[in-house]
This record gives sequence, structure tokens and C-alpha cells, in this order.
Amino acid sequence: MIAFLTENIAPIMFGSMVLLLLLGYPVAFSLAACGIIFGVLGIQLDLLPASLFQAMPDRIWGVMSNDTMLAIPFFTFMGLILERSGMAEDLLETVGQLFGPIRGGLAFAVVLVGAMLAATTGVVAASVISMGLISLPIMLRYGYDKRLASGVITASGTLAQIIPPSLVLIVMADQLGKSVGDMYKGAFVPGFVLTGLYLLYVFGVTVVRPKWAPALPPEARTLREADGSAGLRSLGVLLVLSIASTLAFLHTSLPAAIMSFMRHDTVESLGLDEHIVLGMAAWSIIAYACAASNHAFKLGLLSNMAERFTFVLIPPLALIFLVLGTIFLGIATPTEGGAMGASGALLMALLRKRLDRKQLRQAMESTARLTTFVVFILIGSRLFSLAFYGVNGHLWVEHLLVNMPGGQLGFLIFVNVLIFVLAFFLDFFELSFIVIPLLAPVAEKLGIDLIWFGVLLGINMQTSFMHPPFGFALFFLRSVAPKAVKTADIYWGAVPFVLIQIIMVALVIAFPQLVSAGLDKGPAVDLDKVQIILQDSDAPLAAESAPSESSADASAPSAEDAGNDALMRQLGAK
Amino acid sequence: MRGLLKLSRAIDALNEWVAGKVIWLVLVVTLISAGNAIVRKLFNISSNGWLEIQWYLFSAIFLLCAGYALLRNAHVRIDIVVGRFGPRVAAWIDILGTLLFLFPATALVIYLSWDVFLEAWRSGERSANQGGLIFWPARLLVPLGFSLLWLQGVSELIKRLGFLSGHYVPQEVHDGPRDEEALAEDIRRARGLQGDAQ
Repeated sequence: MIAFLTENIAPIMFGSMVLLLLLGYPVAFSLAACGIIFGVLGIQLDLLPASLFQAMPDRIWGVMSNDTMLAIPFFTFMGLILERSGMAEDLLETVGQLFGPIRGGLAFAVVLVGAMLAATTGVVAASVISMGLISLPIMLRYGYDKRLASGVITASGTLAQIIPPSLVLIVMADQLGKSVGDMYKGAFVPGFVLTGLYLLYVFGVTVVRPKWAPALPPEARTLREADGSAGLRSLGVLLVLSIASTLAFLHTSLPAAIMSFMRHDTVESLGLDEHIVLGMAAWSIIAYACAASNHAFKLGLLSNMAERFTFVLIPPLALIFLVLGTIFLGIATPTEGGAMGASGALLMALLRKRLDRKQLRQAMESTARLTTFVVFILIGSRLFSLAFYGVNGHLWVEHLLVNMPGGQLGFLIFVNVLIFVLAFFLDFFELSFIVIPLLAPVAEKLGIDLIWFGVLLGINMQTSFMHPPFGFALFFLRSVAPKAVKTADIYWGAVPFVLIQIIMVALVIAFPQLVSAGLDKGPAVDLDKVQIILQDSDAPLAAESAPSESSADASAPSAEDAGNDALMRQLGAK
Repeated sequence: MRGLLKLSRAIDALNEWVAGKVIWLVLVVTLISAGNAIVRKLFNISSNGWLEIQWYLFSAIFLLCAGYALLRNAHVRIDIVVGRFGPRVAAWIDILGTLLFLFPATALVIYLSWDVFLEAWRSGERSANQGGLIFWPARLLVPLGFSLLWLQGVSELIKRLGFLSGHYVPQEVHDGPRDEEALAEDIRRARGLQGDAQ
């Protein structure tokens, strides 16, 4: 008996964990208790050192001082403030007005706004609820197919899971030991490809089943001019002019000067991503300035549609720049980006007078609660792994999976099927804290790039929100959908999008470039750690380079100096 | 039983009170982090103290709210199996879970982390980073937070026992997405929509 236990303690521990979790007591404590029970058992069987538990406070300390996890409250807070600011509803109404009159237009609007909300953090529940309240009734009124309408809404709401800055990518980065910044960059292209696939599906439906997604009749358009026209020409002119001036701005030396200032370093040429980000920022400012001056001085040069579109679209774009832009340009770490985004969201909500003390309290309370339960699962899983790794459980999992037939591909297919199935029952926090740490070492051993792996699993886990019958997004839509929409409609509506998700997973497996395209080439610098390193290394670097400047051969910098410069630039760049 | 339920209410009130104060740290840490980032960029100055205070506050949030989260039933569960068996079974699961999982785990952490705190307090342990903060306040958060969590476990235990013996009626049903309902209500009000949903 004891011999059997000693031999098989890892599988027994794993099985016990599954059983204990299924009891339905909070995951965090079940995991911790499982770790303790088997820790005691292991010590009794002489498998583990008697001092095993002395490491517990250290494990908790490690979670506390974890800069990556700090991003979680920031992004959560940002999302919660934004959901109360009315931004989502304004976007849905305006973009719906713009696209409504084309076939499938409202569905396109929902997908596009979903992607945009996702890029400003986006909380799945909030996106789905806004869309369910604003867009769903209009779609139903004008004869959209119920299943298409509800499917588009649930799926677009879940885009918040994969388009950065999303919480799941932060957790994934932490579990895989990669930087959040790289995770975000890697998920960027796949996120937008996925958005494209949704749009493509809607377009396909309008071709095959035009009745499912009719165009809105002209009288449904409430945003119009005094003479009854839609005012689209004015919007077109505004777009062309502002884009032209943006391109002109990018050709001056100003962008380089701005980047030099931001990085405290001379930047001579900018990369494509930097051009895109700065261009977006400049475009927003120019368009906003046009619309604002038109409004303030009553110039009457812009149509209602053009003015409204600009006013509604620019604030979220500005927030996206503040968060993603600064992270991608390497001006801010993801944690700082989250904090700035949350502050920006606060400012925006205050300016719109959409935030009272009660709502602020609510947002802070929800943030504290979410942060607490997430971090506690992490603590629980660290305490579990203390004993599980001690009995070589990770080696057991590794042996089990490394010898899978089909090598890398076989492993990836197995893992994705596993996660897809588990996602019916577990939410992504549980998946990322319990399952991912077991899989990551195996993936690494098989030579799989962990960023790619993480993004892949992120897309897969997104389905956990859409799986009938437990998917959260379905549940939230049900809570706000009119009674005319049956629960079965909501479930069936999600099915095509779950299939699209599977196609997307297959695409990312087949074309790893989708992920790696967003990543920087060249030496990898850990975005999250740099801030600390920068401070620590500032002084010694300066001290080192000072003597070489005063050396005889001042005109030709020494190799060491050049090395330092390169390092500094890299640090500054990140 | 009545005395025990009184104790339970006192514990609930304590954790509500603590959380009511601690949630403001969310705002404080957000502003500190954003402010620090902006100052660092514009003036190229920063100190490790300002970086470290961020994770001190972060730790304070999740450790000191741990009991409150248990009170609000916010710690996630996998209840697809047990969720089918009704409230009495759920109460039994919670009683067993509290006694066998929560109490041993919190007790062990409190016991071990208290020594670590005492050690940090005596030695004046500091962060190794230049300009770093002194460690003992953060070390103290661990036994403090886990004690609040343990206390809340006692309160939950009393409430479940009270429920099973018919002395206590759960006042709130915690299984609905209350935040989401509040949000939907807000949007309806702001947009003048009819609440014709289920």
C-alpha cells in the first residue's frame, strides 16, 4: 500500500485535486488544502523535506511583489469605469447609424464596436450587456434573424478576451513566464484577423440569406441633416482631409522629435508600428480639433453625422493610444499603461458627468473583489504546486505528454481539444492557473514558442464564454434580451461563432507568423522588468561611460561605449 | 446558537468595514502608478520607493479583502456538479470545506507568516533596491489578511450551521450577477429604455 502510494503519489495527487475541485468549494482554498494534505503525506513518506512548508510565506511573497499581476486591478478598474461612462452605448448608436442602411450593417457595427471596446480593455459582460440593450432591440425591430443577432453580440463581446489589453493575456504571460507586452503584441494580429472572420461571416450571411440581416430603411436614420440627407459626404471630406494632414505630419521631422523626447534619446527613424501609432494619435487630434471648432464656432461646415462620429469615436481612440500605443511604443510598461488607461477613463467619465460617488465605489469594490479572487487562485495554485512539484508531478505530466504521437502538432491538437472541452466547465482564470502551468514546461520542451502557445490558448479559451449552456456571454445576453428571443436562439446563435473560433485556432497553428509578425525582431527585452533595471543600471552605466568620454580618443567611441549605448537605447526603447 | 449568530454578524460587519476602506486603495494605487509613469517620462526621475509602494498597496487590496470576498461569495467555485443538489448539500459542502480546507490552510499560513513578519520587524529588513521601502508592513499584511479570512470562515461556518438547524435564513442569494444587473439598470435609465427583459 505504502509502496504503491510512494510510486504513484503524483497521479494520485492530481486525481485528488480534480475531485476536490469538483466538490464545489472555492477553488483557491481547495487547491491550497490539496497541496497541504499531500505535503504532509509526502513528508511522512520521506518524499518531501520536512521544511517544505517553510517555503509557503515565500510563495505568497512572490505573488505579492509580482509586477505583472499588478496590471490586473488597473485594467479591471479601467474597464469598470468605462462601462459606466456611456462610451459603449454612444459608439453602438453612432456606428449603427453609419452602417445601418447597408445590408447586415447593424451586425457589422456590433462586430466593429466590439473590437474597439475590446481594445480599450473591454469587459465581456459589459460589452454584451450594452450591445444586448442598445443593438439587439433595433436589429429585431428591423427583422434580423434572432440567432444571427444574438450570436454576433455574444461573439463580439468576447473579443475583449483576446484583443489586447485583456486580462487573460496578463495571466497567461505570468504563467508562461513571458512579458505581458510581448503577449499583447503577439495577440494583436490574431485578434484583428478574428474580427475580420466575424465580419466575413456576417457578409456571407448577407449574401446567402439576405433576409436574416436586412438593411435599415432610410427612416430609421435619426442622425441626419436639416435637408434630410445623411451627411456622409461631409464625413468623407473630413476623413480625407484629416488623413491627408496626418500623412503630411508623418513626413515632417516632428514624429522623430516626439519619440526622442519620450524616450530621452535621439530617435532618427521610426518603425512601421511607431508610424501607425503616432499617425493614429495625430489623426485623432486633427479630426477632433476640426469637429470641436466646427461645433464651438458654429461654422456649420460639418454634417451632424460627421461631428457626432468624430466626437464619439475619438475618446476611445485616445484611450487606446494611451494604453496600447504607449505599451507598443515602449513608452510605458503594461502595468503603467493600465494605470494611465484607468486614470484616462476616470477623467473621461468625470468630464461626461457619468460618474458619481456611488458608481465609483461600485467600480472600486468590484475591482477589489475580482483582484482578490484572481490572486487567491494564484496563491492556491502556488501552494498546490509547492507539493506537486516536490513529488515530481510536473515530470509525471511531462512524461505523459511528451511522448504523445505526432510531436509538436500532436501535442498542440491534444492540448487545444483538452482546453476546448474543459472550457465548457471552467472559466479562463481556473484554466490559466491550474492547467497552463502543467502544460507550459512540456510545450517548452517540445520547442514551442510560448508566446505563440499562449495566444493560441487565449483564442481557444475565448470559447469558454460562448459554449452553450454555461458560457458567461450567453448568460449575460439572456439577462438583457427581450423575451421574444428564446434561450435556444441564443445558444444556437453562438454555434457558428464557436466554429469560427476553432477555424481561428487552426489558422494560428498553421501560420505561426500571425503571432510572430507583431513581435519585435532582435534581442528580446523583458518589458515588465525593464523599468526596474533602468533605475538600477542608470548610475553604473553613467559612471562607466563618463571616463571613456574624456579619454584621448574621444572622436571614436570605444566598443564598450557603443555597447552601452545600444543597451541604453534598448532599455529606453522598451 | 443566537450568541454564535451575533458573533457571525460582528465578523461580517468587521470585514465589510475593512473592505469599505481598503477599496479606496484601488483609486490610490491607480493614481500613484499613472502619476509615477508620467513623471518618469516627462522628467526622467523616479524612485524605487514609488514602484514598491504600488505592490504594497496591491497586496493590501487582495489580502485585506480576502475575508470580504468570502463573505460576498466571490471566490470562484466549480459548482457544476454540486450546484444541482440544492442548498442543504451546498451548506454541507461549505461546512466541510471550511473545516477541512480553509481552516488548516489559513492557520498554517498565519502561523508561518507571523514568524516571517517578526523576523522582518526585528531585523529592519529592507528592499535591496536603492531607495527601497522597509519590508515589515508588507510582511504584516499576510498574517493580517489571512486572519480576516479565517475569521470570515468562522462566520460562514456559523451561518451554514444556523441554516441547517433552521436558526438562520440566508439574507442574500449570491448566485446572480449583481454587478451586471446594476450595469443593465444604469444603461436602461441613462438611455430611457424599457426594462422588458426577463
